[in-house]
Amino acid sequence: MSVVVLALAALWIGGGTLWLLARRRYHWREVPAFAMDLIGVPVDLAQRLFGRGGVPYALLLPNMLIFGIFTFAPMILNFHVSFTGGASIHLLDRPWVGAANYGAIFDCETYLSPRTCSNEGYDFWTGMFNTLAFVAVQVPVLCIVALLTALVVNRNIVGRGFWRAMFFYPVMLSPVVIANIWNWVLHRKGALNAALGGSAEGLTAMAGLAGFDMVVSVVFAVALMVTSERALRGSLAWAAVFGLLFACVFAWANPLAMIGLGGSFWVGPVLATGVVWAVAIAHRRARWAVASASVVSILLLLTVQFDAVFAFDRVRPVNWLVTPNTGWPFFWLVFVFCWSHMGFYMLILLAGLQAIPRDLYEAAKMDGTKPARAFFRITLPLVMPTLTVVLVLSLIRSFQIFDEVWLLTGGGPGRETFMIVQHIYETAFTGDRPEYGEAAAGSVLMAVVIAVFTFVQLFVTRRQSEF
Amino acid sequence: MGVATFLTRTKGTADRARRFGIADLLAYGYLLLGVLVILMPVAWTFLSSLKGERAIDGFDTRLLPMAQVEAEVEGQGVKPVWTWTAPDGTTRDVVKAGPTRRETDVVALDDPDTVLRVPRTTLAPNERIRVATENYLDPILGRNGQDNFAFFTYLLNSVFVTVMATLITLLINAMAAFALSKYKFRGRLTFTILIIATLLIPSSIILVSLFFVVWSFGIFGSLWGVIIPAAATPTGVFLLRQYMLTIPDELLDAARMDAASEWRIFWRIVLPLSLPALSVLAILSVIWRWNDFLWPLIVLISDPAQHTLQIGLTAFSGEFDSDFHYILAMTVVSLVPITLVFVWLQRFITTGIATTGLK
Repeated sequence: MSVVVLALAALWIGGGTLWLLARRRYHWREVPAFAMDLIGVPVDLAQRLFGRGGVPYALLLPNMLIFGIFTFAPMILNFHVSFTGGASIHLLDRPWVGAANYGAIFDCETYLSPRTCSNEGYDFWTGMFNTLAFVAVQVPVLCIVALLTALVVNRNIVGRGFWRAMFFYPVMLSPVVIANIWNWVLHRKGALNAALGGSAEGLTAMAGLAGFDMVVSVVFAVALMVTSERALRGSLAWAAVFGLLFACVFAWANPLAMIGLGGSFWVGPVLATGVVWAVAIAHRRARWAVASASVVSILLLLTVQFDAVFAFDRVRPVNWLVTPNTGWPFFWLVFVFCWSHMGFYMLILLAGLQAIPRDLYEAAKMDGTKPARAFFRITLPLVMPTLTVVLVLSLIRSFQIFDEVWLLTGGGPGRETFMIVQHIYETAFTGDRPEYGEAAAGSVLMAVVIAVFTFVQLFVTRRQSEF
Repeated sequence: MGVATFLTRTKGTADRARRFGIADLLAYGYLLLGVLVILMPVAWTFLSSLKGERAIDGFDTRLLPMAQVEAEVEGQGVKPVWTWTAPDGTTRDVVKAGPTRRETDVVALDDPDTVLRVPRTTLAPNERIRVATENYLDPILGRNGQDNFAFFTYLLNSVFVTVMATLITLLINAMAAFALSKYKFRGRLTFTILIIATLLIPSSIILVSLFFVVWSFGIFGSLWGVIIPAAATPTGVFLLRQYMLTIPDELLDAARMDAASEWRIFWRIVLPLSLPALSVLAILSVIWRWNDFLWPLIVLISDPAQHTLQIGLTAFSGEFDSDFHYILAMTVVSLVPITLVFVWLQRFITTGIATTGLK
């Protein structure tokens, strides 16, 4: 192998030098130019032999060679490897086992419960379901946060360049650095637990002060009145603030407990979202909804005991990444992934937002259109093509999540964050007996799932572009 | 003019000025949240990396690197110094002369022979700010038994991979883009479709068989095994092709009149003219290669002499799970180069990616 490479290099450099020097004189200052000419000797040769028509093929050759050998060949080889067994890395030594690798993966009693599968099937399906759950949560979160950030940094704010750079900065960091940073912050005795404990203690101390209850009630009442008054005029931003206050008051007052039901914590946000939505689309009952919500919230406010709400017990530090059955490891995975990738998608969306002609907004302003309506009728439709691209890119990207998981949780606790790429990696490359066939079969199945998703996406994209 | 109007005015002429409304307030609130979530963890890691081992192990959450003063006491060796507040309010520097109990034996620094018995609650550590440079110097220089993190080897490997891969990527992608944008030839559409197809093949589904290919080429375990497979990028080809389409053909024809060879046209005319697109691709390639993780992990993990900075740091973090002070310092070390590049080229990177990186 290396002999061939050396011979080729010698031929290229030696022969090329002779050829170039025979055709043209080079001043000794022209060494860089000579080097570039030397690199291009094969292209020159192609031009000499086949005329100008041969040049593009010679130019494409190195790129296509690498694509062919390191992308297309492995793609096809994957199928072959997935039908072979054993631990040999000599392709010809590998015994043909037929569909046994796939059989092991599909050896399940019920497919929806990985526990009923064989060992290989258990690993694969756990990874697959976790990855699907991750993608289902991650893609919407990522897109919404990226869009929100792009909208904020697209505003006329002080230090715009700095803010854009700040949100993009995590994209530049390597996964190991990101994992070490968040490991340190999320440690049981780390900064996050310390900050939570500190603020809980501060609030408890404040709640112990005389008259705290009354002061906070008055503050909340005033805030509710002001925000509801602004929301009644149809301002979406004020409506959002009002919704937040309403949800808080609803959760604290816990009105459903009076009729013996739980779940006030969730009902509040749902009602608040409904009100905000009504204001956003300028529903004809919007004013009515805001007014009734404000009456309800004032009534509820009278029942809230604020010194009880803000008095916390000693906050126990949580082992964020390690505690099983809490959902926290999964949450922080989504968070850190969003943290580290959001900037890229934000930039793409920002480019989309800036491509929207400004006169559309000016025309809307002339007609007295409210900002919320302008957002839903101008910004959102026009940024939709970009948003679809972001959707596709983030879907393919989050399907392949490996670095963050492997470095932050290692797939744990138990198998809670065990993703499909980690399954492939561990089956093939760690452990004493590598199961290349098994891993290749997993990759093929994963490719099928990604292909299905991509085609659905492309279909949706096609529909989108008709607008 | 009312007070509220005065306070919420923003700059601009009277008819164009907007008032500082709730939307602006929410926007600034969001940016503040962004600072808290994005910059704080990085800053916190940096500040923590300056703390001594004792502060790190004790999970000292103060911002500044405080370390307890130590003093040499005759017959007792070097011991941490405490400040004792006497009942009358005077303070003295003392060291502990016995085990810590409710009533602890201490001796004052200025009077080492008298043993005082004082309540534990009156003792406070005597601290001052001290930057723990040993966190950085020990692993980098291999002192104090920290010879597992061959920093300069890793740095050299990382730089080699990044520079080589970027140069090769730029050259061969520009060649392919030149062919696809400036020549009409049979199979152009086929080649274009093939390159689009590679865009749709995620790298993680060909891991296993790529390993077989790289192994049979004999470059597994060497840096070339990381450089070559990723050198051809569909993104790069398309980015450059779109840009080269804007270069007028007349320039090329004029050069052909002067009997320039096609290769000379490529590197004398087309390459310099597509410098903006080339620099965007160069930046992208540097980010990709510097931060690359999964494939180098597979190819290079078995030979520590070939580790890149990322792989070396992973191995180091895994090996010394308890030595957080070294891990944090090395995290900062590998974070600094990319941060400097970013601060230096920040405007260029963000506008470059936003305008050309997508299409």
